[in-house]
Amino acid sequence: MKIAVCIKRVPDMDVRFKIAPIGNAVDEAGLKFDMNDFDSWAVEAALQIKDKDSATEVVIISLGPDSVQETIRKALAMGADRGVELKADRIPFDGLAIARALAAELKDGGFDLILFGKQSADSSNGVVGAMVGELLGLPVVTAISKLELAGGSGSAKREIEGGQEFVEFPLPAVLTIDQGLNTARYPALKGIMAAKKKPLEVKPAQLGEQTVTVLKMELPPERPAGRIIGEGAAAVPELLALLQTEAKVL
Amino acid sequence: MTVGHGIFILIVVLALSFFSYNAQRLVRYMMSIGQPEIRTDDPVTRLKNLFLIGLAQKKILRDAVAGPLHASVFWGFVVLTVGTAEIIVQGLFPGFTYAAILPAPLYDFYILSQELFAVLVLAAVAVLLYRRIIVKPRRLQGDKVHSGDAILILSMIGALMVSLITLGAFGFALHPESGTIFQPVSLAVSHAFGGLSAGTLELGRETSWWFHALLILVFLNYLPYSKHLHVLTSLPNTYLANTSGPGVKGAMSYMDLEAEGAEQFGASDVTHLGWKSLLDSYSCTECGRCTAVCPANITGKLLSPRKIMINTRQRLMELAPLATGDFGEFEHHTLAAGEGGDAGHSNGSAALGNTLLDNYITEEELWACTSCRACVEECPVSIDQLDIINELRRGLVLMESRFPPEIQPAFESLEKNGSPWAFDPGDRAKWAEGMDIPTMAEMVERGERPEVLFWVGCMGSFDDRAKKIAVAFARVLQAANVKFAILGQEEKCNGDPARRMGNEYLYQMLARDNIETLDRYGVETIVTNCPHCFHQIGNEYPQLGGNYDVIHHSTYIEKLMDENRLPLNGEGKALTVAYHDSCYLGRYNGIYEAPRETMKRALPMMTLVEPPRNRSKGLCCGAGGGRMWMEETVGKRINVERTEELLATGADVLAVACPFCMTMIGDGVKAQDSSVQVLDISEVIAQQLVH
Amino acid sequence: MANVFAFAETRNGDLRKIGLEAVTAARNVADETGGSVDAFIAGAAGIGAHAEQLAKYGADTVIVVEHAGLDKYNPEALAATIAERIRGGNYRVAIFPTSALGSDLAPRVAAKLGVGLVNDVTAIKLDGDAVIVEHPVNIGKVIATVKIASQPALIGIRANMFTPAEAPRAGTVEKVEPVGDPSASRIVVKEVKLGGGTKLDLGEAPVIVSGGRGLKGPENFKLLEDLAAAFGNAAVGATRVVTDEGWRPHSDQIGQTGRLVSPQLYVAVGISGAIQHLAGMRTSRTIVAINKDKEAPIFKIADYGIVGDLFEIVPVLTAAVKEAKSRG
Repeated sequence: MKIAVCIKRVPDMDVRFKIAPIGNAVDEAGLKFDMNDFDSWAVEAALQIKDKDSATEVVIISLGPDSVQETIRKALAMGADRGVELKADRIPFDGLAIARALAAELKDGGFDLILFGKQSADSSNGVVGAMVGELLGLPVVTAISKLELAGGSGSAKREIEGGQEFVEFPLPAVLTIDQGLNTARYPALKGIMAAKKKPLEVKPAQLGEQTVTVLKMELPPERPAGRIIGEGAAAVPELLALLQTEAKVL
Repeated sequence: MTVGHGIFILIVVLALSFFSYNAQRLVRYMMSIGQPEIRTDDPVTRLKNLFLIGLAQKKILRDAVAGPLHASVFWGFVVLTVGTAEIIVQGLFPGFTYAAILPAPLYDFYILSQELFAVLVLAAVAVLLYRRIIVKPRRLQGDKVHSGDAILILSMIGALMVSLITLGAFGFALHPESGTIFQPVSLAVSHAFGGLSAGTLELGRETSWWFHALLILVFLNYLPYSKHLHVLTSLPNTYLANTSGPGVKGAMSYMDLEAEGAEQFGASDVTHLGWKSLLDSYSCTECGRCTAVCPANITGKLLSPRKIMINTRQRLMELAPLATGDFGEFEHHTLAAGEGGDAGHSNGSAALGNTLLDNYITEEELWACTSCRACVEECPVSIDQLDIINELRRGLVLMESRFPPEIQPAFESLEKNGSPWAFDPGDRAKWAEGMDIPTMAEMVERGERPEVLFWVGCMGSFDDRAKKIAVAFARVLQAANVKFAILGQEEKCNGDPARRMGNEYLYQMLARDNIETLDRYGVETIVTNCPHCFHQIGNEYPQLGGNYDVIHHSTYIEKLMDENRLPLNGEGKALTVAYHDSCYLGRYNGIYEAPRETMKRALPMMTLVEPPRNRSKGLCCGAGGGRMWMEETVGKRINVERTEELLATGADVLAVACPFCMTMIGDGVKAQDSSVQVLDISEVIAQQLVH
Repeated sequence: MANVFAFAETRNGDLRKIGLEAVTAARNVADETGGSVDAFIAGAAGIGAHAEQLAKYGADTVIVVEHAGLDKYNPEALAATIAERIRGGNYRVAIFPTSALGSDLAPRVAAKLGVGLVNDVTAIKLDGDAVIVEHPVNIGKVIATVKIASQPALIGIRANMFTPAEAPRAGTVEKVEPVGDPSASRIVVKEVKLGGGTKLDLGEAPVIVSGGRGLKGPENFKLLEDLAAAFGNAAVGATRVVTDEGWRPHSDQIGQTGRLVSPQLYVAVGISGAIQHLAGMRTSRTIVAINKDKEAPIFKIADYGIVGDLFEIVPVLTAAVKEAKSRG
């Protein structure tokens, strides 16, 4: 089996972001970057297939500046076979532009399975995987949390609001991975050393026209500082009101 | 030359040849299977250890019952070996006696020493046999721990003593006229032979001599097949131990991750261990002192440091004959048996397919270790069980990425956020807000240099309870007018959790980042309230080129007191305080008194009480070795075991000197529904500052 | 180019609230452009009955696609049918819900049409030829203002951001045949399991009610079970102490060594807030803490705190949530 996994390099989210002077991006100074979580589960899914059938080839593709090589190497350290960097000055926000560049690379690859994370933590748009499938004319199943493959077809579970959907599809197919499918393995030093010697090809990304652009980025208004709203059961009505009107979670 | 003389010479030659053959084989196993390491540095400390731990039996004597008994046997052995030499030489050169070469008073002293020690050893052996056979102390028991070998050895020693005494007594009875007052035992025993003829006495003397001489040779040749090999290896093992001095002794071995062609990181088999670990395994007598003090074992976990040593020896004995081409070798049965059993191979290729990890030692045992060093501290022959555990953990993580799943978030946060918890590094200095504490960057910008750098640590930075410790210590520093700075956002975890959990790669990443930061500011002196930061930066960073004077806050506060820099109010509170020793402060660095002393000076009316296990025998809180980030699902929780002991002292306050101990003991106190306060020593002292 | 397309999501033949939200969002845009709103609804025979409701919320036209093969979600047939309709429909904007279904459908349509799409949009405005939307990025820590220059612009709206508002229009029904044969789709939804029965997983539950040592014993977790049941979409978690004590299974542990969660709402009951616990839940969107010790560290990160006896407060809260849910 031949599997492609498309991964994105994203900043760590455990920090308070600052806006870059340019105004439409976050300040990257001091940010740590790593593989997008959903994408790491996609890599894991591919590697679990490879664990069962060692003849499987797992190819990692990532679009962006040369720094994405570090992220590709991490996937190689986890156990993927080779990597492809689709070089671009920066990762655009336009999902369709990214999808077109990826589809151009994937088109003649002969892949049985093309995996994506459900969405990226930074752009939070969740469109690229399905778009690639559509551009390649392949069946797409998004946001899966369970996967079984048998012969030339597969079945998957999708999480939907308040329930689950069970879907069947033929191969080759494009799948996007949701939380819950697996936990990504931690690369061993042995794998990190081996990854240094694995092939990593660099090609220009064919991004083409972009119709979606970020004009501005800003920080949301500070969350009001936590407060003790009262003592005992008498404070319950106010809590409920705040949950409904201010936090909007009820 | 008589026939007997000729036979004896032949026997001695055969016996020594066979022994030499076996001895060289064991040395060859150790050196060809084990990895090279240097154990000859610092001869002064090594000789000191040899004298104190080896000859003076300092560690043996830590056990109040078995200690003096064993020490008697040991000292007896040393003394009686002089006599043994005389007997063997006598056999080779009939008529030889020390009397011919020693001045009379010295010879008399020699005779007396032989007489007295023979009785002392005999008595000790009798008690030891009684313990083995009748009392059966818990620490001598264990899965497949075999007493047969010990009983055989003790019996041999007993028989040697009996024959030595009868040899003297028959001689005395034959020639009472040449007897002296320096032979009280021979004199006493010779009375029993009163009615015997000269011929019978001579026969008795001859028989005793032959029996003794031959048994010595049998004993010598039995040792390479017995766990009592320590008779031969313990002294060299003590000299070669990795105990070059406080601090350095607990440092994990340096690992060159960039080494050309390096393909093995850490260990999964004996072939990856240093030769000293293999010598350690030869030296283990299975006395169980290590397992008896192991916090994991005490609370019902699978780990037994003794089993680690026995397993290492078993695996060595399984692999080495095959690996060194010793195919005709018959097995060292006793050395290959013991706790945990062997891996059950049926043929050579199965034996080669086995590994120390998994076939002998399981992952579960390795992750149960708190790295508290109690086992190493206790071992009378200076075995380092922790070395093997650490190397196997490294192998698990670096080669196979095998570890309890719950520590993966810690690894990932350490990598991304420089802290084992996923907190924003930007919040590191939040605890200090409003306290007017400059960061290093701010101070440098003002063109100033601090007297010391306060290394806060991740607990002090992010844990709400430990933040109060950081505040208290900062108050102490401010009260003493110490000009200090913190690193704030530039500080990262020192790497100890990653290193102890086997992730050397991650450790070196963190350590090198920190060294880069510290060197950029030209930092020389660091104070910290965290014993893990203290040990790691002070004792292990030098391996990576980071050399700083690192002082734990207990010692530093003591120094401030010595210099009269601390304005204490001198008010007495009649508190009863029990201090809990931190492993990384105590056993790793020998700091036991400073935390106690500082509290006593700050609180003149305080009563310091000690739990039964204190100082170098202190019981771990359960957080070390990365256990802080692991689940504890088997057996009793270590922190509860320790807290119960501390609470039983009746103290009003439990004092700690480590933020991790604070969490564990604090949780233990809550679990007991107790309202006893848990305070860091700096909090105790901060309360006594003049406002 | 002034009309607006809205996808009215249904499930099991019922119109979903977020479907109406899409119509309302479309109505707002159309009011600005002066164009009309075409609401699109698809399903098995009879789905057209919702046309009246859609008209009430502002649909000028209701495009109805009825086919047995559209009984369950049929992504390929829907995407093809919608794409064809939009292509011929002179639309400025097409609006989809950002739901499990909408997030799957919209990118397919966008790719077929070769137009821009932004999901999870919280505000929409027009600017000349372009459409400007607001879209939270970096897990909500940054708000991006994004321009979509394609014609049409595809937008997925975030749930609960566009409150359905009545704005009655004609709602002329236009029946349309699906493109291709919906029964021949490569992707087949075999089964849909809804609600009940399956316990909500901590990782997925929008609301988590979690208990600590303050609960005093396993039997008192009934209080939290009740509160979770009142929310309806909640799971019950616990601290390490609780799972160590065996009051709850280890799989329920939230924290560094257990589950790392970030639900919409986290209710911490009798939890002091040890670092090990905070590390596992501090990214929750809204945190409520109930604890008797007002110095407890949990109050430092809680949005709303109540100091007091949890045994008194929790039952009152349960009743209040139940009542609010029954009203809403």
